[in-house]
Amino acid sequence: MSDVIDLLHKAISKSPAEQTELVREAEEFFLTRFAENVIHQNMGRSDSTIWCRAINGRKIGIARTNELRYDSIIKTILRAHEISLLSPEDAQLTGFRKSPKASPSRGFHESTALCPPAARAEAVGKIVGIAERNALSAAGMYQTSTTSLAVVNSLGTVQEDRVAEARLSLTMTGSEGRAGFAQAFSRDVTRIDVEALAEAACRKAEKTSEPAALSPGKYTVILDPEAVADFLLFLGFLGFAGKGMVSKRSFMADKIGSRIMSELVSVYEDPDDDEMAYMPFDYEGVPRKRVALVENGIARGAVYDNYYASVMSLESTGNALQPGNSFGPYPKAMSMLPGKFPLADLISRANRAIWITHFWYLNYVNPMQTTVTGTTRDGTFLVENGKVTRRLKDMRIQQSMLEAFNNIEAVSVERRVVPKYGALMRVPTLLIKDFNCTAVV
Amino acid sequence: MADIEKMARMALERADRLGAEYVDFRYEESRYERLDFVDGTPQKVEQSTDRGFGIRVIADGAWGFYSSAFINQREISRAAEMAVAIAKASALINKTRIRLAPKAAARDFYRTPLKVDPFEMTVSQKLDYLRRLDDLVAKADGSISRESFLDFKKTIKFYCDSEGSEIRQELFHSGAGLTVTAIGSGRARASRSFPSNEGLFLSGGWDLIEKEPFADNIPRLCEEARAVLAAPECPSKVCDIVLDGSHLGLVIHESIGHALELDRVLGSERNFSGASFATPDKVGRLKYGSEHINVVCDSAAVTGLGSFGYDDEGVKAVSTPLIVNGILSGYLSSRETAYQASAALSASMVAEGWGNIPLIRMTNTNLMPGQYTLNDLIGGIDDGVYMETSSSWSIDDMRQNFQFGCQFGRLIEGGKLTTIVKNPIYTSDTVDFWNSCDGLGDASLWRIWGTPNCGKGQPGQNARTGQGASPGRFRRIKVGR
Repeated sequence: MSDVIDLLHKAISKSPAEQTELVREAEEFFLTRFAENVIHQNMGRSDSTIWCRAINGRKIGIARTNELRYDSIIKTILRAHEISLLSPEDAQLTGFRKSPKASPSRGFHESTALCPPAARAEAVGKIVGIAERNALSAAGMYQTSTTSLAVVNSLGTVQEDRVAEARLSLTMTGSEGRAGFAQAFSRDVTRIDVEALAEAACRKAEKTSEPAALSPGKYTVILDPEAVADFLLFLGFLGFAGKGMVSKRSFMADKIGSRIMSELVSVYEDPDDDEMAYMPFDYEGVPRKRVALVENGIARGAVYDNYYASVMSLESTGNALQPGNSFGPYPKAMSMLPGKFPLADLISRANRAIWITHFWYLNYVNPMQTTVTGTTRDGTFLVENGKVTRRLKDMRIQQSMLEAFNNIEAVSVERRVVPKYGALMRVPTLLIKDFNCTAVV
Repeated sequence: MADIEKMARMALERADRLGAEYVDFRYEESRYERLDFVDGTPQKVEQSTDRGFGIRVIADGAWGFYSSAFINQREISRAAEMAVAIAKASALINKTRIRLAPKAAARDFYRTPLKVDPFEMTVSQKLDYLRRLDDLVAKADGSISRESFLDFKKTIKFYCDSEGSEIRQELFHSGAGLTVTAIGSGRARASRSFPSNEGLFLSGGWDLIEKEPFADNIPRLCEEARAVLAAPECPSKVCDIVLDGSHLGLVIHESIGHALELDRVLGSERNFSGASFATPDKVGRLKYGSEHINVVCDSAAVTGLGSFGYDDEGVKAVSTPLIVNGILSGYLSSRETAYQASAALSASMVAEGWGNIPLIRMTNTNLMPGQYTLNDLIGGIDDGVYMETSSSWSIDDMRQNFQFGCQFGRLIEGGKLTTIVKNPIYTSDTVDFWNSCDGLGDASLWRIWGTPNCGKGQPGQNARTGQGASPGRFRRIKVGR
């Protein structure tokens, strides 16, 4: 047992509450940012957060500190205990659970954890070299980090593990607004092919022709995995989260077993996926499970933590977020199954389509209809007769995401892991008809 | 705090010995409290504390930063070594050296002006306040859904640098908000929030919350939520619009504040937050808006959520003109970008907590008031829409094309407010939009609206900003889908 687990056990044993849970998350985080072909920010951070949840009867209190000292943890426990006594009863609160030991993490690689600043700078140097050879300017970020999580509760749950991750994203820009974006994610930094990624971004930013402006209207679109992930993240929030199922605000509520998307769509919460290898347990210490969310277009289920699962008379799927969050459980490692078409075939199938690299500033217009607006960005192209013919000016879109996922005509074989706001998504490229583009930006 | 200050001086010396040309040290200790009340029940009472330090250096002409939550002499020494090593790694590929615009060294103490420290009130007193609000809503409309919150933050900062500054600050933020939601058949919902979609967020104490007329507005909010639920969709057409101050504050934030952050303008945010159309060659020439548009970046504005005594580079709070009589006149800057672009220092460098590097952030971006009453603004429109309280927002990565939506809309016909409509949205281009403004509300309608959740940077940082605004009138805007 580690020193951290010993410390949490020792502190919990002094808690006056009927039930107590301590969660400790620690992070060693490094990030190198570059723009205009120079490194303009370069940082490291060592952080540690401890949450305490205390339950008395059907009352709960939550407190947080970032001091990993016995006296600070005791103070935090007492604060959570006092808050719980001031809180009213929650009839739906069923208390903490004892969870079985989770499988060991497959997401830790020393190569990532020990990656030195000079290695990130060297990688940026390669990217800048490629940018300069192509008369482009590179901007981006290269992150390597390690996260450790420990959960102990007074019912006997003990979990502790760690994951590492490397993220590289970059945008190559040139004259006349030319831009190309590419990104990569891996638990093992040595698997990120920096030069190939830089070359991919360069190809999108290559000088071809003046950008054309298309009239607003409905178009067939090809969405790169980054654009698909932009939508899937929002769909996860609006539909696949247990809190929305309880409140009936989810588009999945009362639709389990019904067709809600194209039969080409199958999405799973899949924390054990080889490429994502997510932390094997959640912030309540519950082992994460594989959950069918949508299978062949049929709504199958959502993700839960202990609280919302018990309201629905279900078992937690191991998707609790940090204690005290107001979002409820949330999918963190969604996998959309691949289709049967190589990417090249997807493009060659399109008579006339807009190829979209990713979206920017998506926001709800009508969450009940899953309608969002946003703009395309960093690589928008016209495909005609199966060939990429010219660069396009970016467009504002306003689109129901459910409608878009109903209008899928083809799914690529290739998939990429896309990280967004703490979630990972392994997704393919999609060909979608009747996609609503409302203005040229 | 004496121990921290001693260790800080040691960090400066350590980094200096390792070859740093410039060093700053920032310690932050924050206390946060959040209480949520939903449909008659406290949903959440959360208290947290957080402390740590960050060391920023220039070595071999490049930046390095390291921060840690572990506060002891050994860790601070290690952090100084890490910051210098990171800077030297940056320098491996950089061909130019960082230069900083000069600033005056300061030894000072600043405390947010306040009457009642919210952390001296008990949780019970705060829950009682929320319960009273909740009861009032229930009395006004027994079947409407209701959510209210209180939000308090106290931050103690100690900053020192190798140029001789030593600055201590105690900053207080207080927030409160109320949203009522009428629920219709199926999944239909209509919400009304007060005083803005984010609630009330200001620099100051509990006294500011007690002054806000929450109770007086509850009957109106309930009636409007019911009316919006039953209302027709806002028509689609090109017409004149009047926007309330809380919503106009968000438009200022998105299309002026972000567009004039000099790091974004010079390309530093290109991979994530984007760039800006408002490039330095346009200063003094670009007609950003009509003659009614005068905007300042003011980090010293009383009660503004973005106010402080000094920014996180030790630059004293100041008011900087951004747009004067409609003409682009300045930027939000850092010492580095001010040197690069020969711009004024605007005291705009703010980090989210001890763990992050400071970035150029909006402080209080204030559109100065005009001369009109709300009736004057509405009375000058034959055919248009009045919109209130933000519900949706999106702007492109160059800060030009945008689309906004509001919770509440009302048609304007013959200079009068008539039919209530739902889902009013409008689309425009930043420069076209601000040039179409032909009137702003007077000083009695003006206030600084707080935004507690402005995101920027990698890793993502949250900032708390203010936007001063009164209602405004805009001609020939594309409304609807």
